[in-house]
Amino acid sequence: MTDPVISTSHLKKSFGSKTVLQDVDLNVPAGAVVGLVGTNGSGKSTLIKCLLGLLKKTSGSISLFGEDPWNLSASAKSRLGYVPQIVKLYPWMKVKHIVAYTSAYYDAWDPAWAETLLDRWELPRDHRIGPMSPGQLQKLALVLALSYRPELLVLDEPVASLDPVARREFLSSLLEICQHEQHTVLFSTHITSDLERVASHLAILKGGRIVLFDELDAVKDRVKRLRITAANDLPANFAVRGALRSEFSHNRAMVAVGDLDDRLVGELEEKWHADVAVEDLNLEEIFLELHHE
Amino acid sequence: MQPTSLEFAVQPTSGVPIYRQLMDQIRALVASGRLKPGDRLPSVRQMAADLQVNMMTVSKAYAKLESDGLLERERGLGMRVPVGASHEGTATTMAPVGERQQELRPFAEELATRAWQLNLTDDQALAVVRSVLKGRKS
Repeated sequence: MTDPVISTSHLKKSFGSKTVLQDVDLNVPAGAVVGLVGTNGSGKSTLIKCLLGLLKKTSGSISLFGEDPWNLSASAKSRLGYVPQIVKLYPWMKVKHIVAYTSAYYDAWDPAWAETLLDRWELPRDHRIGPMSPGQLQKLALVLALSYRPELLVLDEPVASLDPVARREFLSSLLEICQHEQHTVLFSTHITSDLERVASHLAILKGGRIVLFDELDAVKDRVKRLRITAANDLPANFAVRGALRSEFSHNRAMVAVGDLDDRLVGELEEKWHADVAVEDLNLEEIFLELHHE
Repeated sequence: MQPTSLEFAVQPTSGVPIYRQLMDQIRALVASGRLKPGDRLPSVRQMAADLQVNMMTVSKAYAKLESDGLLERERGLGMRVPVGASHEGTATTMAPVGERQQELRPFAEELATRAWQLNLTDDQALAVVRSVLKGRKS
């Protein structure tokens, strides 16, 4: 196994007395496409900024390409692409100028690919950046970040300002990049349906902690909802091991479990003389189950 | 039949992981004899691009089916249904009609519910099914 591209241990970040990230342990393997999801204010952008050395961690450790992101070498920076949530580019430049300007910084710049992306996202070369809409700016920033095919691509809410057409175009470009080489992608989003197509891994950030990090398929295989119909009324202390959430009344219960194993269903059937139906959950449902208060 | 990616359809927002959906569909194609020994599947890259999913998802489905013995890897050519090997699902041991109909049942139940909601008669609903089936053949 190669070393993880991103690795953190006990990462903590506070702003004054407010702790935003706590005890974050995250290991992103090379080639993974990680979807980072969390509610508003869960710390997604702060985590991304700490990982990239744009914010200084309070304590713990972070490694990016095996280096400390706060003192990242020039060569590591050239292998890294980042699109922030709010894109700021020189307003006086035209599209063709910013493309030429940015290309000068990267040895790996692929001019043909840049042109393809500009066409695909309908960004006219002669448009000035100043009056562009947030969606157009985001598309332009994506072109700039994708054109040198960075080994690690970090995207903070990349599709937030995009219309459905542009979102699809973006996803297929992302898939195209992931196909050609060993690229690692980390992107935050709260649109779970986009994530389900492209992501290989899922990270859920809740209250400043990573509460779940695993392969997306494994998550869908493990997190399930059980509908239990018992022979008799369930007692007040009814509980299922490993339950994320449970609701019950009379002889019926609905329980979401984080790690369904073969034994659990049998145990429940035996203990409560119950019928147990196992329901698959999609990402949105899993996300909601994990956030149920 | 040399299947193209058009023969497959995945629901990314389903609770069933995409690789499992693909495995189920390939199993069904083999079990029914639609895919015969020697038939080749689309390349991982082609399938991923057409279905707009991650390549890893497709290669995972293929790899699992390979280790189950349902597919074999042909050097440089991709995946195919094994030739000669007598395994569950080849034309000679095709799953019985009853079993394959059972597979179809959940979809029919969904269809029946929606037909009822739309207040369609049995004949009217069946006419839709027939026209869809006919469309696939042409």
